[in-house]
Amino acid sequence: MKFIALTILSVMVVVFVNPFSPFWIVMIGIGVISILIGAKGFSSFLAGGLGMGLAWLGQTIWVSFQTGSALPDQMAEIMGLGSGVFLSMITGILGFLLGGFSAYSGSLFRRMFIKRPDNLYRG
Amino acid sequence: MKYFSFLLVLAIAVTLAVLVSKPLGPVPPLAPLIDPYHGFWQNMFSEDELMEEELSLPGLSSPVKVIYDENLIPHIFASNKKDLYMAQGYVTAKHRLWQMEFQTRAAAGRLSEIVGDIALDLDRMTRRKGLGYGAELGMEFLKKNDPETLEFLTSYAAGVNHYISQLNPGQTPVEYKILNYQPESWTPYKSLLLLKYMSDMLVGDRDLEYTNLRKILGAKMLDKLYPDFPNELDPVIESEKAWEFDPIPISKPDSINYPDETWKVEPLNQPEEGTGSNNWAVSGSKTKSGKPILANDPHLGLNLPSLWYSLQLTTPEYSVKGASLPGALGIISGFNQNIAWGVTNATKDARDWYRITFQNEDRNAYRYGDEWRPTTFRIEEIKIKDQEAFLDTVVYTHYGPVMYDKNFRSERQDVNFALKWTVHMGSNEQKTFLLLNEAKNHQDYNLALDHFTAPAQNFVFASKSGDIAMRIQGKFALKWPEQGKFFMDGSDPRMEWQDYIPNDQNPQTFNPERGFVASANQHPVAATYPYYVFDNSYEHYRNRRINGKLRQMNEITLEDMKALQFDDFYQQAFDVLPTMLTLLGDGFKENEKAQTYLTQLKEWDFYADPNQKAPTLYHLWWNNLYNHIWKKWDEFGVPVVKPNSYQTIQLLKNEPGSEIFDMEETPEIETAKNHVQKSFQSTMEEMEKLLEENGDYAWANYKNTTVQHLVPQFKAFSVYNVYTGGGAGIVNATSGRHGASWRMIVELGDKPQAFGVYPGGQSGNPGSKYYKNFIPVWAEGNYLQFDLREEADSEGVLFQTTLK
Repeated sequence: MKFIALTILSVMVVVFVNPFSPFWIVMIGIGVISILIGAKGFSSFLAGGLGMGLAWLGQTIWVSFQTGSALPDQMAEIMGLGSGVFLSMITGILGFLLGGFSAYSGSLFRRMFIKRPDNLYRG
Repeated sequence: MKYFSFLLVLAIAVTLAVLVSKPLGPVPPLAPLIDPYHGFWQNMFSEDELMEEELSLPGLSSPVKVIYDENLIPHIFASNKKDLYMAQGYVTAKHRLWQMEFQTRAAAGRLSEIVGDIALDLDRMTRRKGLGYGAELGMEFLKKNDPETLEFLTSYAAGVNHYISQLNPGQTPVEYKILNYQPESWTPYKSLLLLKYMSDMLVGDRDLEYTNLRKILGAKMLDKLYPDFPNELDPVIESEKAWEFDPIPISKPDSINYPDETWKVEPLNQPEEGTGSNNWAVSGSKTKSGKPILANDPHLGLNLPSLWYSLQLTTPEYSVKGASLPGALGIISGFNQNIAWGVTNATKDARDWYRITFQNEDRNAYRYGDEWRPTTFRIEEIKIKDQEAFLDTVVYTHYGPVMYDKNFRSERQDVNFALKWTVHMGSNEQKTFLLLNEAKNHQDYNLALDHFTAPAQNFVFASKSGDIAMRIQGKFALKWPEQGKFFMDGSDPRMEWQDYIPNDQNPQTFNPERGFVASANQHPVAATYPYYVFDNSYEHYRNRRINGKLRQMNEITLEDMKALQFDDFYQQAFDVLPTMLTLLGDGFKENEKAQTYLTQLKEWDFYADPNQKAPTLYHLWWNNLYNHIWKKWDEFGVPVVKPNSYQTIQLLKNEPGSEIFDMEETPEIETAKNHVQKSFQSTMEEMEKLLEENGDYAWANYKNTTVQHLVPQFKAFSVYNVYTGGGAGIVNATSGRHGASWRMIVELGDKPQAFGVYPGGQSGNPGSKYYKNFIPVWAEGNYLQFDLREEADSEGVLFQTTLK
């Protein structure tokens, strides 16, 4: 449940924050949300990664669909990276890494402050 | 452990974020480039997809309406000129910001700031030519003499700067993202610099080469092979023109001492061959409608974003439309309700070189007659990307800057020569265009032209009232015969440019009897003109074709003028191919392949249309022949110019047995025939290679017309192999990298009817659908409708924006 929540919220951060802020603000946002949600380490990595990665990939596909511009193919040629589709994938992968490590950092940050669950039974 | 793993993962996240925000060598920062909300993905939107109905432009006195037609051509409606130019700056920046900035950085010798020390040599050269110095003098001139123009330039700059100030990262032109730098603010100085840059593009000199030739060939042979006037002279101003002024007397000093060594150095870059232009106007007596028609097509490098940007500028007083240069105010080639005008280059040896004799190593003074004159030093600070700035000291004399000296290319022999050039004289070219934009008649046109110094242009003119005119305008030095053809001794005051030809004595003609005026970069005048006229690069073919056609034509329509601009007749081939075929004789009778080629050549109608094969054969053969004849010129071992193709053809036709054709190293005595045969043999060999590599040798395939992005390495932003005819020396002057960079035809009348097109598109953004959408139209010789629009016209509107 937390996994899905974190994924969806990460997508939302990208969609609503990224248009007005650089990628590193988005990273901080995903980190903060990950602190709040508190998914487990690796699962938060996957959730944050998928959230930002899919949002970035989706945006490249959406813009391409909307405009029909050949610019991605041209950029790929200039960068020596094959095709525009490949560049879309690279964008998605970079988003995945950035989002994933942000969420993972958030999750581990939360773990530092949360007391072990066995404390609950003691009182 | 908890702390450790958190810190480790956080460190990875931060490192990753930093890594993708920093450039890695030449690779730009990855994340800002591919972040889909800020990176290049945002440059995929075309202008109409980003349209806004209202935009703020502080400083306007009242709202300005901008109506875009379906080709994204803005029509700006402002209530006064100051608002008009502010809006022009804003709108131009919106579509062409990167280009206008890049071009002025190149003109200022500031490319090293963007690309690093790889451009340092080029930047030093640009600065040592004094383009920036010239623009500074231009600013001084405006401050002193023309505050109004300066106010308009300031207003334009404010428009550009407002656009830059509210530019979001997503819409920043993609070239900034790839090259990883930011736009900087615009200034009036930059607009002037751009016009100086045009001079640099269009002006050349061959003083070095002629100095060498004079030494090697002697004056007599030089005159024979490089005559001042050709046999079939068809000058810009009709030959029969009578000059009704008293010329200022000038005489050649006796016993001139030219610096007389032969020089083993590379000359300064010259304008590329194929740079040139056509313009003409026909009077109502020759047109079907009875109204004058004017046509202009400047030929320049074919680049993307295009050099030209089209717009209409309207105030309550006038409405002008045509092609502008992004960065300069107003329309450069265009028309308004009353007149139309156009430009072609009118070079006339505008640069001269003077040898400077310094008093001593300190170079504080140089000899001039009996005295020592003080020099001035100009320190050029060249900033370099990721490196310390480079300081370059340039010595200035009263002639101009010393280009090569002990600090720059000191291995050259021609160190310590000063460059004298009209670009270094305070002048106000911008004013000419501002006045032409609102000119109403021939008198206004003449007043506008009086402000124009460099680069000299043939200004064609036609008016609603039925007048046509041509005037060659620039600041021309009054020279004695051969002054400035060779290097000169700067210590001898007799070598100075004595004076300038007064504007009203510049060659010009008004409603000539023949019913048309035309220019194509040929000789400006016949020998009857009382002043010395010389340049190495005059045209010999396009002018004869255009004038020949215009003489014949009557009942001319706009369609006829379109056809003439797109005319593929290969005048040079027409002149010489029959002679080449005769001289070849039947030496290749047995060779089957040769016979195929020769049949193609014999059956050719001399049109260089894209699908024709004969122009390729002719072009290869002619180049081989020309190079074969003048091979010994390469063996002089110093830079020279070879006799031009026209003179070479004259020799082939009239003196095939001349000793010029003999190659001294062989025992036999060669004639033109030997060269023709040998060169045909080489052509056969080249054809074999060409067929192997290409399969096809149709003209368009062979010449490979390319419209290239300003950064040639960005190949994906260029367009290769445009299927179109024409070539250098042909009226449709489209060669591989040069050609009609703008075509315009206007019929004056109650309402002017106009057509225009250029090989590019209104948008400077490679991701936009308006980036290169005119290229197919242009390549087929078609035009866009270019009539003036009224604010209320609702047809064909893409979108409109109000600036306030």
